[in-house]
Amino acid sequence: MIKIDSVAKSFAEKKVIENLTLEVKKEEILSLLGPNGCGKTTLLNMISGLTRPDNGNIYINDVLVNGEEGTKRVCLKPSERKVGYVFQTISLFPHMQVQDNVSYGLKSLRLPKREVKKRTSYLLDFVNLREYAKFYPNQLSGGQKQLAALARSLANEPQVLLLDEPASAIDPQLRESFRLELKNYLQALKITVVYVTHNLSEAFIMSDRIAVMGNGRIEQIGSKTEIFDKPSSQYVAKFLGINAFKGKAVRIQEGFLEIAVNNVQLLAPLAPDLIGKKVIVTVKPENIIVSKSADLNFNCALRNSIEGTVTEMVQMRSTAQVTVDAGFSLKTRLPISSIKNLGINIGDKVYLCFNADALNVFADNGSEPYID
Amino acid sequence: MKHVFTSSLSNKITLIILGLIVLTYFLFVTLPILAVFLRIEPSQVNAQLHNAQILDAIKLSLFTSGIATLIALVLTVPTGYFMATRNFPGKAIIDTLMDLPIVLPPAVAGVVLLYAFAPKGLLGPIFNRLGFIIPGSTIAVVIAETFVASPFLLRSAKTGFENMDKDIINSAKMLTGSRLRVFFTVTFPLSIRAIISGTMMTWARAMGEFGATLMFAGNLPGITQTMPLAIYVLLYSDPLAGVMLSIILIVISFSVLIIVKLLEQKRFGVKK
Repeated sequence: MIKIDSVAKSFAEKKVIENLTLEVKKEEILSLLGPNGCGKTTLLNMISGLTRPDNGNIYINDVLVNGEEGTKRVCLKPSERKVGYVFQTISLFPHMQVQDNVSYGLKSLRLPKREVKKRTSYLLDFVNLREYAKFYPNQLSGGQKQLAALARSLANEPQVLLLDEPASAIDPQLRESFRLELKNYLQALKITVVYVTHNLSEAFIMSDRIAVMGNGRIEQIGSKTEIFDKPSSQYVAKFLGINAFKGKAVRIQEGFLEIAVNNVQLLAPLAPDLIGKKVIVTVKPENIIVSKSADLNFNCALRNSIEGTVTEMVQMRSTAQVTVDAGFSLKTRLPISSIKNLGINIGDKVYLCFNADALNVFADNGSEPYID
Repeated sequence: MKHVFTSSLSNKITLIILGLIVLTYFLFVTLPILAVFLRIEPSQVNAQLHNAQILDAIKLSLFTSGIATLIALVLTVPTGYFMATRNFPGKAIIDTLMDLPIVLPPAVAGVVLLYAFAPKGLLGPIFNRLGFIIPGSTIAVVIAETFVASPFLLRSAKTGFENMDKDIINSAKMLTGSRLRVFFTVTFPLSIRAIISGTMMTWARAMGEFGATLMFAGNLPGITQTMPLAIYVLLYSDPLAGVMLSIILIVISFSVLIIVKLLEQKRFGVKK
């Protein structure tokens, strides 16, 4: 549906998007996830036509909207692309009633008045704002404003909808319910959606697939499980809060791949082609079991069991992140109650167990962006 | 305890000194204004308002400053929009040059206008051929007022356009391909307060223009003698008339400032 082919953009000599390629499928909700300043908004602006790329082609529904075709340079106006855009800030026209905001795009279609009225009230009904038709934006709540902006962006019947951190302008305590409401609307629309966010759980709630962005390019794209179970780079793993460390694939042992990380031996799923190579290993914090006695290890059917010292504990609402130094640093996540039962404190010696299957191993090709 | 006492005492003294400075400055500005008001009795006002020279000056001032303000609106709002939304080499220099009349001494403004529009000036021959002699005419008054006063509107409009939320403009661009429609339905209404406040400042400045008008247009009653020029002449021949005109200008200036302040405070309205 959207095809972005080797697109690049620099602002004042600074490369913001570098040779980026991305395909968004028809009627999917794709989250564009990445830290602030990684070029997410620039990418949306290029799809929408508000920003012109320096290089590369952009297609929407197989129509070239930006780029070169033969000898012809194409750059369609934003309003000609059949793209709706909901911005990060509340961007309703403050001097117009909600209904005039929603009908703004319809009026440029030169439709008969009756048709404009009909479609406006349909859109207001769609986002449940019919009673607020004659309100001014400053009389609405944050969530209502963004829904009105959504209705406005849908007026021209776009094939693609771009949303740039739409929840960020909403009070934190209302954000959760806004996301769920918005998700229902997006699913009902059945159009292609690109949803920009820097928030992991938001990307998870909103989308079918996630594209992780870093330093002006797409680091990884895939379904939610693919991204979380098999992050393809250290950058993606770290951004998702998954342990990632460097090691070396040594040999095959008992049908597993043996990996040396510093002086610790780990067993991972078999991958003969990696033997002898430098590798990166990732493991999710929630897949690591923590115990205080070595005893459990014997009973434990898990393949990997290593010893370490607790170096840090960060308490969250119902869980805590416990960092253990086992020759390399590993983060684990435990329910608060388990921490109390086990009596874990900083400086304690603990044992970490995890299955070979919990490890995701890939070759370390050396060059990748780093978050820290 | 002693320390606390001294510090609160020194705070009090500081406050008293500050208060005295503020009072001095306030009186410095307001006493002269009061002095003018004290020179005229309410019974004399009516007679003054029938003085032909006063009426002529008021009419001429309203007419010329009105035209000057209209010209400024037509020229500076689009210019301000352009300067606020475009980048090009040499922008800073051009921007500064267009602001120059704000700080230029009015006498110098008069000189430069003479060298531009006098019959032997830079543009004079063109007007000669068309049958106009600018200096000494009402047109010269309008030109002088526009020259001196329009940068106020330019600055205000430009700032208004610059401070607009880009996402709001971009939202409009997503929905319509017509730049004119975006400008007239979104950009202009959202900067209307900046434009009105700039218009008021420009008009007030045009009403008060003295130096450039005197140098460039002269002081001919009914043709180029605006209110400030009439005050200058009348203060010696008919002081009461001069006082009356001054009071009118003070009231106008004060009203303009009040309106500008209100416009700056008022936020986009909840209309019910």
